[in-house]
Amino acid sequence: MTVASSSTTTSATPAAPAVEAVALRKAFGAINAVDGIDLSLPAGRIYGMLGPNGSGKTTLIRLLTGLTSATSGQARVLGVAMPSRTNLARIGYMTQADGIYPELSVWENLSFFAALYGQRDRAEIVRTLELVELDRRLGTPALQLSGGMRRRLSLACALAHRPTVIFLDEPTVGVDPALRVQFWDHFHRLAADGATLLVSSHVMDEADRCDELLFMRDGHVLAQGTPADLRVRAGTDNLESAFLHFAGLSASPPAAAGPTGEAAR
Amino acid sequence: MSALRVAAVVRRIIAQFRRDPRSLALLFAAPLAIIALLGWVLSSSGAATARVAIVSESSQPASAAVVSRLTAALQGQPTVVVNTDVHDAATARQMLKDKQLDLVVDIPADFTVQSPKLQLVTLGLNPTGEASVIPNVQQALFKAVAGNLGAALPSIERSTVYGSPDATTVDTLAPVVVGFFVYFFVFILTGISFLRERIGGTLERLLATPVSRAEIVLGYSLGFGFFATLQVAAVLAFVLGRFDIPALGPVPAFAIGLGVHTAGNPLISYLLVLVLGLGAVSLGIFLSTFARTELQILQFIPIVIVPQALLSGFFWPIDQLPSLLQPVARVLPVTYAIDGLRQVMIAGADLTSGQVLFDLAVLTGIAAVFMVLAAATIRREVA
Repeated sequence: MTVASSSTTTSATPAAPAVEAVALRKAFGAINAVDGIDLSLPAGRIYGMLGPNGSGKTTLIRLLTGLTSATSGQARVLGVAMPSRTNLARIGYMTQADGIYPELSVWENLSFFAALYGQRDRAEIVRTLELVELDRRLGTPALQLSGGMRRRLSLACALAHRPTVIFLDEPTVGVDPALRVQFWDHFHRLAADGATLLVSSHVMDEADRCDELLFMRDGHVLAQGTPADLRVRAGTDNLESAFLHFAGLSASPPAAAGPTGEAAR
Repeated sequence: MSALRVAAVVRRIIAQFRRDPRSLALLFAAPLAIIALLGWVLSSSGAATARVAIVSESSQPASAAVVSRLTAALQGQPTVVVNTDVHDAATARQMLKDKQLDLVVDIPADFTVQSPKLQLVTLGLNPTGEASVIPNVQQALFKAVAGNLGAALPSIERSTVYGSPDATTVDTLAPVVVGFFVYFFVFILTGISFLRERIGGTLERLLATPVSRAEIVLGYSLGFGFFATLQVAAVLAFVLGRFDIPALGPVPAFAIGLGVHTAGNPLISYLLVLVLGLGAVSLGIFLSTFARTELQILQFIPIVIVPQALLSGFFWPIDQLPSLLQPVARVLPVTYAIDGLRQVMIAGADLTSGQVLFDLAVLTGIAAVFMVLAAATIRREVA
């Protein structure tokens, strides 16, 4: 299923899209976790992936980072076919699990991952810690951090090497509302600096902060566009109803809805 | 291959251990405690004196003379105490059961001068352990019979090509124990550490960095190799060294360390154990692929560790194993480590010895195979 990007900005740049997928498919046995997705995401924007659990968001990220190999189709990041180990130096990935070492201190965790990415600029590592407000806890073992703090450390581990393409898998789970606002402000700063962010979430209230949304379900991209565009196309004023509309499950039927239940699988 | 990334992995493993004193204790204190216990048990068990009674069920007049001659002969033995108050077989058997006697020399009812026959009776709960008192008694019996006949028996002395026939069990077991401990502890610790990478999500993150699988395996090998090195040093120092503490007040004199004599260069022993340990690191990484929990790593102990203890020449020479099991023993890494360690520590072999070089080569090959397997399976998702 191909969904035309409604992107209008940055179309002047002839460079390859930051993130690309061509007929990308990943099967686990009889189930297609990602079922023939085509994407072409220009750089410098925040893309939100929205969909229920099991809609294929994490598998799509793992395909794009090369952590799992595609059953068919192709994934490209910054014009390079994935998997590519050298390309990973330009990619940041915040996993759904915290993925940090509980015995190690905040500093040890962050400097370890930074070292693997080749980042040896201590000042940059410290700046990253300031961003997630952990700069006063350098020596604290991760084990003793609260859930929200661990999430922040996990984010820092994905950003310290200043990646140009950043995949964030549910980055704000367990993060308090005030810090969540700061996270998003920072995401926008990164995008303004030219980074491309692909953020997965299953909460709709974050969706409006994205430049563009991908509605996902059952391994398909149901719809792609700016939040405003999607609302207009669905004939509704909230994204939740828009999602249901594109999923063919219209709860509050917009004027021009197709037959209910059609194509919903 | 980036040295900086490998170094980062090594530094991380060392930092993790520094913050986990219990695992450090497992690595260092546990083997020392077990070896000390083993040394203590083995060194005292051989010196026990046998409590013996000589009884006769025979009505032959000659039997009384045999009893008194045997008694006289056995009383001359330093490791035998003859109980002369017991005269009938039933009482003697009861005293065996009550653990008041270790061995009964029984002259049976059908004893005749023409066909002299003696029975040596022990309890039978632990036949191997009980048998340890028999050689002393047998020797005394030979002397008694020979004296009776007025003949002289040739005196038999045992000698060995390597070491000494008087080598204690500790001396011969030490090389085996050193190799085995390193293998066991390094395997368990790497297996669990790597499993935690898999289930804690850090492996997912590692694989999303430019670090290669070979760099991860190498970093692990060097990081755990560092601790294995320290562990081997501590264990070897304990096994080979001996530091006597004099008696002080109520505390009797005791010794720290086993003071086992090594004929060869300890550095070669060290090299053998280190290569064995490197194989164990990769085996731990490889097998962590097939476990989902720490408990499942422990389930590999009876599958991976115990057969090596039984088959690697630890207890029985490989040539004496059933023929079906011999090829199995010959693919186990511990087999080659134990052989090499015995060659070096008992026979005094050095790196000019073809056998030691062969053992080292096989261990290196096995470690290399496990490293390749470990690197190849790292990417596999959690079982």
